[in-house]
Amino acid sequence: MLSRSAERLYWLARYLERTENIARLVSVHMNLLMDLPNSVEMSWLQLVRINGAKQEFHEKYKVANEHNVTRFLLVDESYPGSLFSSLIAARENIRTSRDLLPDEAWEQVNEIYLFVKNNIDSVYNRSNRVAFLNEILKGCQRFTGLLSGYMSHNHPYQFIRLGKNIERADMTSRILDLASLLLAESRSNEMRQYESILWLNILKSLNAQLIYRQQVRSSVNGDDVLNFLLLNTSLPRSVGCCLAEIADCIDALPNNDALPDDLAKLKAYVQGIDIRQNTETQLRGILDDLQNKLGQLHDRIANNWFLQVIAD
Amino acid sequence: MARHSYQQLTKHGTNDANCLLNPLAIAYAMKSIWKNYNTDNAYDELMSSEFQPRQISHRLCQYLHSLNADDIDKRKMAAELAILEMGISFTVYSDEGNIDRAWPFDIIPRIIASTEWRIIEKGLKQRLTALNCFIADIYSEQAFIKDGLMPAEIILSSKNFRKECVGMTPRHNVWANICGTDLVRDKDGIMYVLEDNLRVPSGVSYMLENRVITKRVFPELLQDIDILPIDDYPSRLQDMLTSLAPEHISKPQIVVLTPGIYNSAYFEHAYLAQQMGAQLVEGGDLVVNDDDCVYMRTIEGLEKVDVIYRRIDDDFLDPEVFRKDSSLGVPGLMRAWKAGNVSLSNAPGAGVADDKVVYAYVPEMIRYYLNEEPILPNVQTYLCGNPEHLEYVLAHLPELVVKPANESGGYGMLVGPHASSREIAAFRQIIQENPRNYIAQPTLAISTAPTLCKGQLEPRHIDLRPFILQGANTFVTAGGLTRVALKKGSLVVNSSQGGGSKDTWIINMERS
Repeated sequence: MLSRSAERLYWLARYLERTENIARLVSVHMNLLMDLPNSVEMSWLQLVRINGAKQEFHEKYKVANEHNVTRFLLVDESYPGSLFSSLIAARENIRTSRDLLPDEAWEQVNEIYLFVKNNIDSVYNRSNRVAFLNEILKGCQRFTGLLSGYMSHNHPYQFIRLGKNIERADMTSRILDLASLLLAESRSNEMRQYESILWLNILKSLNAQLIYRQQVRSSVNGDDVLNFLLLNTSLPRSVGCCLAEIADCIDALPNNDALPDDLAKLKAYVQGIDIRQNTETQLRGILDDLQNKLGQLHDRIANNWFLQVIAD
Repeated sequence: MARHSYQQLTKHGTNDANCLLNPLAIAYAMKSIWKNYNTDNAYDELMSSEFQPRQISHRLCQYLHSLNADDIDKRKMAAELAILEMGISFTVYSDEGNIDRAWPFDIIPRIIASTEWRIIEKGLKQRLTALNCFIADIYSEQAFIKDGLMPAEIILSSKNFRKECVGMTPRHNVWANICGTDLVRDKDGIMYVLEDNLRVPSGVSYMLENRVITKRVFPELLQDIDILPIDDYPSRLQDMLTSLAPEHISKPQIVVLTPGIYNSAYFEHAYLAQQMGAQLVEGGDLVVNDDDCVYMRTIEGLEKVDVIYRRIDDDFLDPEVFRKDSSLGVPGLMRAWKAGNVSLSNAPGAGVADDKVVYAYVPEMIRYYLNEEPILPNVQTYLCGNPEHLEYVLAHLPELVVKPANESGGYGMLVGPHASSREIAAFRQIIQENPRNYIAQPTLAISTAPTLCKGQLEPRHIDLRPFILQGANTFVTAGGLTRVALKKGSLVVNSSQGGGSKDTWIINMERS
């Protein structure tokens, strides 16, 4: 498999996962808005902050209201981290990798792209936005299902899986970040009263509600949810599970050199996180740290498999 | 013969299967979408007159009449949606940057009888065989020139003659493995060869996708009519490329070499690679080592490559030999090819026969190398490099089509009858500055076919590009890519110049 193709498939998966995750993130935020009483302050700016895009946002928009933030995060083509930009990048990567994938894979991504392109205006209205985001989530799920059912689980498949899980681990940590941020900065104590609603929504956003109920068997509370979403190894969107998947992919790929060692260190770091010992602010530090470590892992992967392209 | 089949043409007809309809009734039935149809100006592929379908198009015309305007509209939209979703696109270079455009497709197919097609197919094989003999001859003994059949300066002045290739013998001594030959039918009903594309002919993926779309849009119709299938092309291409591999290699590593993701035919490169299960590579993915072998950079390190289906022009293939500034190619590729370690398809230098001046000599080549009479005629061609021809051309510019000898894509040509006097004057100047570089042909009344234009069928000019493969064996696609000039009256069918395409049906007339 060409190094260049490996790189494109890896990025295809990252961008598509990012597309799906931004849709999830905005959905969960909207759900919270609807669940929580009006007296609880919930700023749209938090969504921008956890994506680390506060400065970019303010360069373009004055007010962080629903209209501006959803526009920025969902359909702003000039912000490279927006849903639409991610989707365009995913489409460009798959357009240039069609020789490695089943026909339907390209058609599926192209279909989501056409849908978003033709429905950009629907994000400004709340009920249209809900339908818009659902359609995107469904499209992304179809893509995942299609690959798992149609594609040989060969090297190209492993690179897709690798990209997807790195992006997913990163986003799960950002969604946890959102929760801690809401709790840490809530000016009234009112947010505390509704904490369990917050955590329930977090679980829902990661499709984790059912498994949580089955496995944790306690009421929904912050410590348990955080532990579960960081350490569980069977829930697809928990950080622990993503790391296990990444380890699997790396094992299945040739020339993996020192990567398994790096990964073992990262796994140990995650398993060592003790939620109960930390305040919300400390927790935010840990999550930031985790995101940096995932960034380093990406660099190692790029150096190991993709760099031959840049060599000349 | 099959007049009674017209009974289905009208919804007002009776249920009596034997009921014959008189021409007036047919005219009434055909009124709606054929309102503006006119077959006066050229041979029409489907209609022998305004109201009379040819035998090959009976069934299609019947079917079209079973649909109302709304049905037709729905089918057209379904085709457009399929093209968008399948992402069938081509790139247009313009001042505003490169734009990826959806492939313009007309849902009404073009039909040819298998009886006629078998003759055309034979003619195409004959032609490519002779062309390959010619190329092999030009890079070895040049007997064709020595025997006085062609002036030596035509080759010496050809920018596609590559002296680096002299003395080479590619596998099977076949240089042009993939050829797209453009055919047009004149008013006399005869198919003429307009040109042979031997460098990097494109369009075959569109031919294949057009059939996929037609299957989606007219499933009822395709079941009824015995149409020769075309979808074996990718496996034929793979077989042909495999037959080119260096002799000791049984399962060669085949790659498709593309100039990159911004090339206008990138869609096709990716499509063919995917269909053949070959790797799609760019120049930067390949490297030639000290052992003169070609390798690709993979996640497992370097891997040897045996056959390259290159979609890059000679000029850009190898900066060590051709253009030094090329970043698309692979340094050392020619070394590897000459050492016999890799096959390139088409072989470098094959373009020497893809020259509109050389074209004029093809009938002579067929007689000379094969000792046969040409099955497919050439269009009358005036070579501006020949003083007598030049004089004629300059005197008759308003009636002629003038083309540069080496360009493709319909660029830089003059269509006399459609040009202003200023354009003609400018061309007169250009031709005189470099006569070798221009040829002229009479303006053909190239044939038309019904094309859907704003809900009505109107005649539009079309051509046909069949694809011929030659390696250990020779293969011709059943039909080819029919290109259509969508602008009324236009004779230019290139997609970069406002052309579209149609599905091409070769209907089996022997069985039915």
